[in-house]
Amino acid sequence: MITANENQSWVNAHAGVALPGADVAWLNEQRAAALAQFEKVGLPGVRDEDWRYTNLRALKSNDYALNSASVLNVELAETTNPRLVFVDGHLDVAASTGLSDSVTSLKDSLAIVEGAFGSTLPIEPHGFTALNTAYAHDGYVVNLTPNQVLDGVLEVVFVSQSANAVSHTRNIIIAQANTQCTIIERHIGAQGSVYLNNIITEIVAGDNAHIDHYKIQQESDDAFHMGGVFINQASNSQVKNHNIALSGLVTRNDIYCNLLGPGAHMEMNGLVVGKGRQHIDNHTEVNHAVPNCTSDEYYKTVLDDHSRSVFRGRIIVAQDAQLTNADQQNNNLLLSKNAEADCKPQLEIYADDVKCSHGATVGQLDPTSLFYLKSRGINAESANALLTFAFANEVIERIKVDRVREELTQILAGELLSGLEELI
Amino acid sequence: MLKVTNLHASVDGKEILKGITLEVKPGEVHAIMGPNGSGKSTLSNVIAGRDGYEVTAGSVEYLGKDLLELEAEERACEGIFLAFQYPVEIPGVSNMAMLKAAMNSIRKYHGQDEIKAGDFLKLIRQKADLVEMKHEFLKRAVNEGFSGGEKKRNEILQMAMLEPKLALLDETDSGLDIDALKIVSHGVNALRSPERSMVLVTHYQRLLDYIVPDYVHVLANGQIVKSGDKSLALELEAKGYSWIEGIDDNQTTAAQAS
Ligand SMILES: Nc1ncnc2c1ncn2[C@@H]1O[C@H](COP(=O)(O)OP(=O)(O)O)[C@@H](O)[C@H]1O
Ligand SMILES: [Mg+2]
Repeated sequence: MITANENQSWVNAHAGVALPGADVAWLNEQRAAALAQFEKVGLPGVRDEDWRYTNLRALKSNDYALNSASVLNVELAETTNPRLVFVDGHLDVAASTGLSDSVTSLKDSLAIVEGAFGSTLPIEPHGFTALNTAYAHDGYVVNLTPNQVLDGVLEVVFVSQSANAVSHTRNIIIAQANTQCTIIERHIGAQGSVYLNNIITEIVAGDNAHIDHYKIQQESDDAFHMGGVFINQASNSQVKNHNIALSGLVTRNDIYCNLLGPGAHMEMNGLVVGKGRQHIDNHTEVNHAVPNCTSDEYYKTVLDDHSRSVFRGRIIVAQDAQLTNADQQNNNLLLSKNAEADCKPQLEIYADDVKCSHGATVGQLDPTSLFYLKSRGINAESANALLTFAFANEVIERIKVDRVREELTQILAGELLSGLEELI
Repeated sequence: MLKVTNLHASVDGKEILKGITLEVKPGEVHAIMGPNGSGKSTLSNVIAGRDGYEVTAGSVEYLGKDLLELEAEERACEGIFLAFQYPVEIPGVSNMAMLKAAMNSIRKYHGQDEIKAGDFLKLIRQKADLVEMKHEFLKRAVNEGFSGGEKKRNEILQMAMLEPKLALLDETDSGLDIDALKIVSHGVNALRSPERSMVLVTHYQRLLDYIVPDYVHVLANGQIVKSGDKSLALELEAKGYSWIEGIDDNQTTAAQAS
């Protein structure tokens, strides 16, 4: 049970923190509404259907503090990409490259995001989303004016380096007509450190905008990651969201997409690799609001040890949304008898002339394939690793940008192919 | 090399091999023929160590060791190779990756260093040429989208790479057109040596025109009902299986229908 006291303590924890835009009326209105929503719904608990399997006791039993600006104290791998670095949710300008007219921090861009901020969120957001709106302190903003192409790949690294830090980061991508960008978000944290990363990215895709958005989650094994990616798509826009969760103690992602203009295409690729006592939830929702849109969702999960995952994939096809083509696949591989995957496809189809398909599987490695590899002299452990890697890598293979795909393949090989990395 | 004595094996409580005795000496090529369902694949699988078969009686000795004590991967490391009747597709694992993992695993088993990347590449290209496989196939996922003939050639490529001491070829000829059959046979013949033994499982004598066996055995209803030299295969070709004692009409019909 969540008590009013508990909720109040979350509010108290944020009292006295200076937030940007204290004098910006539209923002204050949104913050006040979000706070009221939080006071109404509180933090989610197992009594909420959408959180039934998600144990937040460990998260709630800890006290968190919202830091003011922090300075990066870990070394990041070299990159040739422009890279923004956020430390405990605050942009570290000195550690960042790639800031420009189009790539800014939320704090500096309140005028730009007016109208976009909050526009993609669900009407009745849950407690974490509400807290994020109420206390959003920073984030990245990409603002592309019509026909603008953001060259190359923009990397944004979110480093959680302080123990017991909470951050409510809000990122906003505004891609006006005929624009194009590729953005990678990385989430990393000091191993063994407990913190709460409550982060939302809003994507507003204009007519014919092409957006490739990657989220690579490699938090501390003891961290909590509450993530939201909320997307509105206009006509003929194409948004690809790649959601790779490799770490963290409890992870929750809400990935919601509204297809609001004919010809829009959404692709959601997801990969979960769970071990230990990790818990990973992915709640996706594709809302086909108008005719002639397509969506293609492909989620895979590999679970070892006592890890658990939830995949809830909702597809809504409105009555007017004729000629919708929606596909959803969710395949789960259990490597341990103590691992558990729950998958809940939810199709709500109100139009009659549509093509909607979905498939969900939960299983183990194929014994015939294992025997084939073993009969070639490959030991059982390597055979398992190779087949597991192959299963998971099918998600990575859907990535069209060569260098991103290659890098993710390497990361995945590091996770699943230890000792055999040179094979791929 | 291989000594199978009174081997009985069952699947799900159903006895399939009913007392097989077979000895294969170094360098020998044995053909095992017989109608469909007679237990040929079961015998190959039991020797290769596939799960799901229960050996209820008898023994299998290989190079002086009790083979049935070894895991499938240990048997492979000890030099046993099974070319599958139905090669398995492994999406996401390339031919090269699988063979490199296999070679290194076998080398490790024998206390040897891993093969150098350059040497591996040279070797695999050379062996691909042996089975007339285009080099681009090496980078493709194992057997995925390969035609029937390409899969069978891929089995021979793997055998050529792993250089087994005892190769079991389970219907490697089935589904091949005459050109592919020649390629496969050429690959197999290139690997014949005084130290390497082979067991060819086949339904048809056609393969034996190209790979000439030292001995031919007829397997029926889980038992070897007749053994002879290569002329036995020709006799089978001419007369079918029905003249051999121990094969009932039912099985003959099944064989002809397939
Ligand atoms: N996994 C299995 N489960 C049940 N029956 C099996 C299995 N494998 C083989 N059999 C049965 O064993 C018999 C021999 O099969 P098999 O060894 O494949 O014959 P062959 O290779 O000579 O055609 C057949 O009757 C077949 O149906
Ligand atoms: Mg067979």
